[in-house]
Amino acid sequence: MSLLETKQITMRFGGVVALRNVDVHQDANETLGMIGPNGSGKTTFVNVITGHLRPAAGSLMFDGNSLIGRRPFAIAGAGLTRTFQSVRVFGQLTGRENVAAALVDAQRPLDAEGVAETTHWLGLDSRLDVPAGNLTLFEQRRLELLMRLVQRPKLLMLDEPVGGLSSAEVRAMIALLAELKTRNTIFIIEHTMKVIRELADRVVVLLAGEKIADGPPADILADKRVVENYLGSVDA
Amino acid sequence: MTSTLNRWLPHAVFAVLAFGAPLLLSDNRYFAFIAGITLISVLWATGMNLLYGYTGLMPMMFAGIAGISAYMTIGLAAIGWSFWGAMLVSSLAASLIGVILGLPSLRLRGFYFTLCSLVIQTVITLGFVYFVNLTNGDTGISQIPLPEMPGGGSLSGLAYDMVLAALAVIGTVVLTLIVHSQFGRRLVAIREDDGLAETLGIDVTRQKMIAFFVASVFASIGGALYAPYVGFISPRSFDVLVSLNIWLMVAFGGRGTIWGPVFGAVLLAPVPFLLQDYYTIKDVLYGLLIIGVIVMLPAGIAGGLKGPSRKAAPATLKPERAQ
Repeated sequence: MSLLETKQITMRFGGVVALRNVDVHQDANETLGMIGPNGSGKTTFVNVITGHLRPAAGSLMFDGNSLIGRRPFAIAGAGLTRTFQSVRVFGQLTGRENVAAALVDAQRPLDAEGVAETTHWLGLDSRLDVPAGNLTLFEQRRLELLMRLVQRPKLLMLDEPVGGLSSAEVRAMIALLAELKTRNTIFIIEHTMKVIRELADRVVVLLAGEKIADGPPADILADKRVVENYLGSVDA
Repeated sequence: MTSTLNRWLPHAVFAVLAFGAPLLLSDNRYFAFIAGITLISVLWATGMNLLYGYTGLMPMMFAGIAGISAYMTIGLAAIGWSFWGAMLVSSLAASLIGVILGLPSLRLRGFYFTLCSLVIQTVITLGFVYFVNLTNGDTGISQIPLPEMPGGGSLSGLAYDMVLAALAVIGTVVLTLIVHSQFGRRLVAIREDDGLAETLGIDVTRQKMIAFFVASVFASIGGALYAPYVGFISPRSFDVLVSLNIWLMVAFGGRGTIWGPVFGAVLLAPVPFLLQDYYTIKDVLYGLLIIGVIVMLPAGIAGGLKGPSRKAAPATLKPERAQ
């Protein structure tokens, strides 16, 4: 059985159809990537899954339960968590306070040892007492990951995890994510093929709210429709 | 051990001051009365601080809730209830009414919550004016009997001041306990970014509701004790200006710190009494103070003393596309 399974998800904003009959499934321990040009509905898809938007139609199953109509905090409690496209931490609070806020209502929190180990792995040991707003963007991105990982999510959805990073930082982040995918089931939205090609086991391509392809990265790169509609037309 | 001492030492100092001030002023009933009103203001400001300072909500119906409790306590006492029983029941009832009235607004954030609470405050004030048989309308209720003491007699003078001091101290202790609890952590997370808090599994609406209830209990107990202490209440005693004054104590003193709002209350609560001869400029002064606080002291006196606030660096640098 799939960990995450959406069937015929449709989302409308007024007259605009943002998602049309999108079927996506993801197994535990599988790294799923989602690509598509700007405005193709990737973030909308994550917003629907994590309860920030209510779909107009379709079914949404996670770990054997329907998520339709459940609020974001309840979905997080069920083990499905996400990050945001523009980095989001509690800027006035220290890293430690940020982590404490992530632990306060975690359903299956890491123990103190696990938190310390994960902090060390992400290279944030010496940065936890600094107000999160004073951290560099890359540090904030890692703090974001730490705040999710201490909750031991069953599925972690990352919305453009390398957005805004320098090319050296992108490489470092890809290395971190490559190791992360052996620890956690992750779902990655990316604007570009580079990250997806290196990390994803399978890729879903969205175009104008519709799924146009679904398969291993190599097949996707060779798919004529994808190349014509997306790879060929965008600097990807 | 040291951290426990550090945490509670200020409360001990405050307790000495709170009980000491009315004692020292007991020769002059008028000054002692100002001290008593200040202590009620400390309790109110502490309750408002839980919402404005720690949860990020600006509740403009705060005084209205205090008023509901005050009218209800007097009403129940008038039909033969013990004052203390009436205060307890009224405080819980007023807080529940507050939560029910606030329910639609608790899903809103920031400015929209404030606007909604302003409307609720207006409705409550209109209610005080309208239900004449319960509140005596605009005329107000005067010669409110003092609370009875266990063992006969009534609570007055210095003894009443001591009760107010005790409640002010208890209020700051309760707030400190909340701030250092898991509940306090949730509230701060909501204040900083409620969307992120929700994503981390925090039931934002529910936590706001609990915070609102607790703060309303502070408002209500203050309201119930205010009425017999002053001896007269009218809809004006609990109108939006009163909410705004309490808010000003919190903002001026320093929101989100335990002692800033206490300091704000101590500085601002006596002002109307000291300016009684200059009655007309009082409101002008308050207006100037509000503007001054917003422009020059956004973090209040406590924030100003703490040095430059921990300002977040712009983490919103527009992400250049990775590639």
